Amino acid sequence: MLLTLDLNDLRPLHEQVAEAIRRAVAEGSYALGDRLPPARDLAEALGINANTVLRALRDLRDEGVLEFRRGRGVSVLSRPDPRSVIEEKLRALLSEAGQYGYRHDDVIELIREIS
Amino acid sequence: MGLRGRFLSVAVGWFALLTVVLVAVPLALRNRLPEPMASHWGPSGAPDGSMPFAVLLALQVGIWVLIGGGACAGALRDSWVLRRRASRMGLGALLCGGGLFLVGLQLVTLSANLDVPTWSGAASLSWGALLVVAVMLLGGWLGALAARPGPDESPRSSGTATETIPLRPGQRTVWVSSVRNGWVSGIGGSLLAAGAGFAAVALLNGNDALWPHSVIMIVTGLLALTFSSARVQITEDCLRISYGPLRRPRKHIPIERVQRAWSEERSPWEVGGWGIRGMPGAATVMLRSGECLVVGYVSGGRFTISIDDAEHGAALLNTLVARAPTSTGSS
Repeated sequence: MLLTLDLNDLRPLHEQVAEAIRRAVAEGSYALGDRLPPARDLAEALGINANTVLRALRDLRDEGVLEFRRGRGVSVLSRPDPRSVIEEKLRALLSEAGQYGYRHDDVIELIREIS
Repeated sequence: MGLRGRFLSVAVGWFALLTVVLVAVPLALRNRLPEPMASHWGPSGAPDGSMPFAVLLALQVGIWVLIGGGACAGALRDSWVLRRRASRMGLGALLCGGGLFLVGLQLVTLSANLDVPTWSGAASLSWGALLVVAVMLLGGWLGALAARPGPDESPRSSGTATETIPLRPGQRTVWVSSVRNGWVSGIGGSLLAAGAGFAAVALLNGNDALWPHSVIMIVTGLLALTFSSARVQITEDCLRISYGPLRRPRKHIPIERVQRAWSEERSPWEVGGWGIRGMPGAATVMLRSGECLVVGYVSGGRFTISIDDAEHGAALLNTLVARAPTSTGSS
């Protein structure tokens, strides 16, 4: 499972982790029913607290993306809504554009120009 | 005749020859053997267990059928098995060493039982057991040597460099994956529980004879549990592998040691079974068939582990390797 965290992102860390896991599941590296790596290992690799990862996993369970089963760990229940994946990417794009001084209307204009 | 035909005709001929020996020799000596025969010897060298002639014969032939049949089935199941030198040598060693071990065991058992009135009067086995082990090792070596000539083709492999992962400054990208074999962990857990049960009985009843069984079960159970699951992490500077529920032992491969990585479809038949196979520098951790991550070292060796989502892992590893010289230069 490939996970990317943006170190400049100001949102709560568990939201960012949930987004990273949602993206990895949406990209199809895990099929429905596949088991995710243990939270402890995800946390260790990302260099963050295991409770933060657990909170992100619980959020994704509440969204219906993941399923927790006793003795079987965490597995994929359904593919995340594509709209939520695109939304996350747009949010990242807008924040990056903001760093360069682009307002939201500028970005919308840019999208119109290139499409 | 192709390699497959040659291997199979030799294997089947060898299998038939040893089956005849295993059946004919005891039948020829039947009149000079006690009923039941001594079949197990204690640490002191004196016989401590017996079996009827027919059961002992059926057991020995049955084990040989399992070994020989298993080796032939393994060779037939996947066409890659015979075309790879390592797996061909493994099968040769199994057929030759395993067969000679069973024949040796039978001859030693027969000679100890020969011309004694009852099984408890059978001769001691001390040196004979060592001889059988020596013959097995020698046979395994000769079998591997006999199977060595021929092609050594690499298994199907993506081999090509996989896509790269875009890495941006200010981002942390990692890859985490895991693999678990439910059968092995189940067997390990049961062995551990049975061993603990034996130890409890030995402790409560003061039955010292149970201790060796208990220790062997606990050690085997712990080993099976440890190597029933693995987790791999790829972070900026290294690749980390940890085994078992306790995450020990751990293996740590710095990015500088990696030349490139790719994913490959492998099966346990190709690498000689489940578990950790091969030598340091060319090891394979095979916990299930299917997708494997292969890491090629700068030194020429490679490390293979069966793991989910290996394609992304290989891509990230290659990206980090490609980036490594500049990052070490600037730091």
